[in-house]
Amino acid sequence: MTEEIRVESLARVEGHGGITVTLKDNKVEDVRVEIFEGPRLIEALVVGKTPEEDLNITPRICAICTVSHKYAALRGLEKALGVKVPKKTHLTRELMHMGEIIESNALHVFLLALPDFLGYPSAVHMAKDHLEAVKAGLALKKFGNRIMEITTARATHGENPVLGGFGRFPSSEELKELKKTAQELIPAAEIGVEILRELRMPTYMEESMVFMALRPPGDEFGFVGDRIMISTGECVDVEEYKSVIEERVVSHSFAKRARFRGRPFMVGALARINLLGERLTGRAGEYYRHCYSLGWMRNPLYNNLAQAIEILHCLERIPTLVDEISKLKDPKIAKPERTSGKGTGAVEAPRGSLYHHYEIKDGLIEKCDIVTPTAQNLDDMELHVRVGTEVLLSKGHKKDDDLNLKLEMIVRAYDPCISCATHLVKVVEKD
Amino acid sequence: MADKPKAGFYGFTGCAGCLLTILNCEDELLDIFNAADVKSFLMANRANFEDEPLDVAFVEGSITTEEQLEKLKKIREKSKIVVAIGTCSCYGGVQSMYFGDGNFEKRWKQVYGDAKIELTEAFESKPIDEFIKVDFYLPGCPIDKNQFLEFYSQLVRGIPPKLPHYPVCAECKWNENECLLMKGKLCLGPITRGGCNARCPSNNVPCVGCFGPADEVNINSEMKLLLERKYSRDEIIRRIRTFAGASFVRQFSKLLEEEARK
Repeated sequence: MTEEIRVESLARVEGHGGITVTLKDNKVEDVRVEIFEGPRLIEALVVGKTPEEDLNITPRICAICTVSHKYAALRGLEKALGVKVPKKTHLTRELMHMGEIIESNALHVFLLALPDFLGYPSAVHMAKDHLEAVKAGLALKKFGNRIMEITTARATHGENPVLGGFGRFPSSEELKELKKTAQELIPAAEIGVEILRELRMPTYMEESMVFMALRPPGDEFGFVGDRIMISTGECVDVEEYKSVIEERVVSHSFAKRARFRGRPFMVGALARINLLGERLTGRAGEYYRHCYSLGWMRNPLYNNLAQAIEILHCLERIPTLVDEISKLKDPKIAKPERTSGKGTGAVEAPRGSLYHHYEIKDGLIEKCDIVTPTAQNLDDMELHVRVGTEVLLSKGHKKDDDLNLKLEMIVRAYDPCISCATHLVKVVEKD
Repeated sequence: MADKPKAGFYGFTGCAGCLLTILNCEDELLDIFNAADVKSFLMANRANFEDEPLDVAFVEGSITTEEQLEKLKKIREKSKIVVAIGTCSCYGGVQSMYFGDGNFEKRWKQVYGDAKIELTEAFESKPIDEFIKVDFYLPGCPIDKNQFLEFYSQLVRGIPPKLPHYPVCAECKWNENECLLMKGKLCLGPITRGGCNARCPSNNVPCVGCFGPADEVNINSEMKLLLERKYSRDEIIRRIRTFAGASFVRQFSKLLEEEARK
């Protein structure tokens, strides 16, 4: 007998998706994380346009990763055209990017994931009993947005970061405000870590995993790099991303899929902490060393705790970063050296490595390839939903709403960003 | 309040930035959920009630699949008021920048090749008013948080909301900014709907037009100013189309063609 378990609409994720598990004689035959989000063909739209236009368009792929898209696009375009940005621009970009990591991680940890673990349909329902946690989440989210307002001119799709620099650098008053708020919010970030570390993490979906993340230069924890690290021990340049990320189109999704040597893999906070956690210092480092266990290499639900630790890391990094930025004078916008060239830019978006590859000729884009984190994670989600379903059914779990919730929790742990995933991935060639 | 208005928040094709902007009202979020009886907000809540009639539906995103079209029609049927929020819903958004040019299938093949996708039939992105009647438009890519809060509080109290009809250029002058267009930058402030408080020009960055076209703007004068500043007609039109979507065809293309023929 064939039957289906369906989660029609995934709630509390950004974008539109669902899960279908097909069972035959009570055994899992097929698992599909389906992406219903309508297609937008963004890569096709930027062909024939200038780098400046690309910087207005590709960040619109996704609201919650907009700064990461802008940053990856800037890195790719600037490599292609030989734009060398000064130190203050680098550091201010690091600050704006942390705004997005804090905002997105806080939204996911406190408002989207915690309601699952504590048994509420939403954060608004959860506020009745856990007001402190909801308030901490909102305060952190607001701070992340405030950083983006100051550095990019708007919480979402700010246009202040431009090719070669910023339209306007943050004022010293604004920087002081950010430093002060970052220090004040450390206890709020600790609330998230404390709640999650006290929970008994469910294990029904555990399976050995492969992780991938960008390796920041030097020996600090961070969210930008030009080398890709893989948990199998390999490391390649970002220009070689196609050699480790194999993509394909599947019939049940407008988003493409990715594998590493035929295996699903995970990107995102859990990958970063698994691969770079030893680099964490301060309170974030202490929590990492207290909480870390071998389960982190097998269980995607730890992604929530990894995100909470990353918020703490950002809050601890910002005061130093602000001090460094404050010492430097506002530079002029750096100019391109040439009008043609190729470049791959990569950054860690909140939910994992994001690649923007460009080929530019005479000032216009000829090819654009964007690989988003959620597209990379989809196969891994399906793998763990399969394992979860098999384990739960073998333990006699009924096919009810609670089973659906448990499967949804697996997918939600990846913090999927379905808008991003749908904006694909294929090299577009100008004809 | 005994009978709060029943509200629903829906998202179709886009970046989800307008619904996110609502969730970004951190200080007012609990009030937003208290001021109305929110029956559906999938992005924030797992328990939604889709069978009940609504007083007001907020719709984000453009329509790109048959499945979305079915859902959109159902939302219209059960709602007294439908508000299009964001540039995608109002005009089609960046995914509609070539609205009506007849090359959708070519672009589709560029991204998906010949691969078959079985989910639902997809078509060229269109704003929601291509399919249903819309009562209010709140544009922006994304919508402006303060503008939304004002709009929302008026609507839930039964006051007809008002939105700016003037262009970004007016707000920019009130902010006493130096004119970027006069400095030779490709700024769309004169033809773009205000409401953002001239955010980009106030940061020394030209307006990209993300609120879509304002009413009754002089498109040919903008074209002339930019041509004089050595931008090509192609690039100017590309820039205008980026966020104008369907309203480029509705509002500008005839005027521009007539002028170009002169």
